[in-house]
Amino acid sequence: MRKLFAAMKKETLLLLRDRIGLGILFIMPMVLIFVMTLIQDAAFRTLSEQGIPILLINEDQDSLGFKIEHGMRTAGICELHTTINGEPAKEEQVAEAVRQGKYLIAIVVPEGATAALRMRVSDMLESSLGSTSEAAKVDMKEIRLVIDPVASKSFVTSVTSSLREFITSVKTQLMFQTFNEQIGLLVPEGSDYTPAEYDGTLAIGYKEEYASELAGSKTPNAVQHNVPAWTIFAMFFIVIPVVGSVMKEKSEGSVFRFHIIPASYFLQINAKLLVFTGVCMVQFVLMMSIGLFFLPMLGLPVLDLGNSISGVLIVALATSMAAGAYGVLVGTLAGTQQQGAILGSLSILILSALGGIWVPAYIMPDTLRTISEFSPLNWSLNGFYSLFLRGEGLAGVWPHVLKLLAFFLVCLGFTTWINQRRTQR
Amino acid sequence: MESKAIIEVSDLKKQYHEADAPAVNGISFSIRENEIFGLLGPNGAGKTTTISMMCGLVKATSGNIRLMGQDLQTSFRNLKMHLGIVPQDIALYPSLTGRENLEFYGAMYGVEKKILRQRIDQWLEKMEMGSSANRRVESYSGGMKRRINLIAGILHEPKVLFLDEPTVGVDVQSRSTIIAHLRELNAQGMTVIYTSHHLEEAEKFCTEVAIIDQGNLLAQGEAQALVKAHNCSDLEGLFLKLTHKAQRN
Repeated sequence: MRKLFAAMKKETLLLLRDRIGLGILFIMPMVLIFVMTLIQDAAFRTLSEQGIPILLINEDQDSLGFKIEHGMRTAGICELHTTINGEPAKEEQVAEAVRQGKYLIAIVVPEGATAALRMRVSDMLESSLGSTSEAAKVDMKEIRLVIDPVASKSFVTSVTSSLREFITSVKTQLMFQTFNEQIGLLVPEGSDYTPAEYDGTLAIGYKEEYASELAGSKTPNAVQHNVPAWTIFAMFFIVIPVVGSVMKEKSEGSVFRFHIIPASYFLQINAKLLVFTGVCMVQFVLMMSIGLFFLPMLGLPVLDLGNSISGVLIVALATSMAAGAYGVLVGTLAGTQQQGAILGSLSILILSALGGIWVPAYIMPDTLRTISEFSPLNWSLNGFYSLFLRGEGLAGVWPHVLKLLAFFLVCLGFTTWINQRRTQR
Repeated sequence: MESKAIIEVSDLKKQYHEADAPAVNGISFSIRENEIFGLLGPNGAGKTTTISMMCGLVKATSGNIRLMGQDLQTSFRNLKMHLGIVPQDIALYPSLTGRENLEFYGAMYGVEKKILRQRIDQWLEKMEMGSSANRRVESYSGGMKRRINLIAGILHEPKVLFLDEPTVGVDVQSRSTIIAHLRELNAQGMTVIYTSHHLEEAEKFCTEVAIIDQGNLLAQGEAQALVKAHNCSDLEGLFLKLTHKAQRN
């Protein structure tokens, strides 16, 4: 045990004296969390709270135009503008305004759109009631959408879906009104026929339900997503200092002594892992505290750790162990410090991309989604999501924790095997 | 009375995968207890490979090494405690102080804390390193690093000490200090096995030498006796006579 403590003391001293390494370990991840959360929060807000700027030109000035204007204003998917530089917007200005990036989409509701719709409805009813009068030809009116090419397909789809819904709603209302008028014409005078009021409520609606109790009350936001994701990324980046530590011992000759001292190399590895796991846990606590205390100071939501602090700590510990063991393996495999640094950083970037740190795994193509299930960063992220978003407890994180621990053991096993082979060459 | 052999090397061979010729080509010799044994040879002669096999760092392709009467291969774990090594390259942590390095290596050998502290102080004093012991190794001169490198290999008081060119690149003062203390250790009963390019130093320091070249043992015996037997004026003359003057890579 004394040997282990001596090796841990040595590792701690080496770490404390490497100021750049400490910077990489603590300052960089904190900056990363701040920057990524703020950036992604802006994106979240753009989509949900502040809204994307959309320009509407209502040349219709009738039911459809007003319905679209009111609907877009209240739907919460955009920030609706009807003027450019304080002046009522004109159709000929929209293309230039969108090109300049002032608006992501411009919607032009043409003059007479409601009249055309009304006429079309009237024709349809007359035709179905067997009227013989010749229907006037109705010109088709088009709602013009001018779209900035940077607009995401999904956002454009959500806007067109909303427009379709508004058109259908107005059309239904017009049909009801026209139908009432036609009935009124058919009912003899003196009868007590009273036209029914249009009731816009739907017979079939929909209800959003989340697969867990917690998620129903907590909307996923930039903090809930980014703090665990970038914390995992930073924790796995401990691979770089671990690789550096292993490689330095190789290049500075200490490994040479380890082979002949009566203490196994495994002990040195264990000491390294214990110290770096401790560092990872400190990193974790610091980064969680950013989500809990510092991000709210910038107007961001407070990080919610869910219902199981022990679950959070267990996932963090398993992640730390997996990251440390992976670092030791990369350091053992690499021939030079440069090789180790490149292999370590690139592999973490790839594993994080695959693991859903950068973009959620569910939007990846099938093949990548399958591959993502083999990324330890994905296991860790899912562990935290189970706690932070799905409201699960300790039982919910075990599958992820066990995968991380298995990864830790595999890395350690490989490291030991490679070392044994190299020692006796 | 002649002392018994502490190391017996028989038909030792090492063939590296990537090399055409064997680094060590079936050499046999023995080293008596309490000897200062010099393993001499030009660059690439096989000295470091031989010494690495003798202290268990490199596995021999064939042959046998017996250390303190035990087979090195099978009893390496038990023998480790009795071996000390001072590698050619400085094997220290540059960002730790000299004392911290010594405390770490001493602890790895399981030397009891109090005894370790005493030995460290004692050796730092002997090596005239007391005042700089708490400075980081990276700030040391080449000679200071060599001296700490030596202390790190002897804190556990091994029975056999392997030194691979311990005085390379150091000034005369440091070399003199190192040699003087190695003599002292030898006087206390430690067997010293040493490689060097300093033939004059080896001639004065070693009780017995072996000259190897291209993996073959060319001569072994007491330095002066070998010089006389080959009609040479000194060890350098003998060395050149046996290994020839062609440049080595």
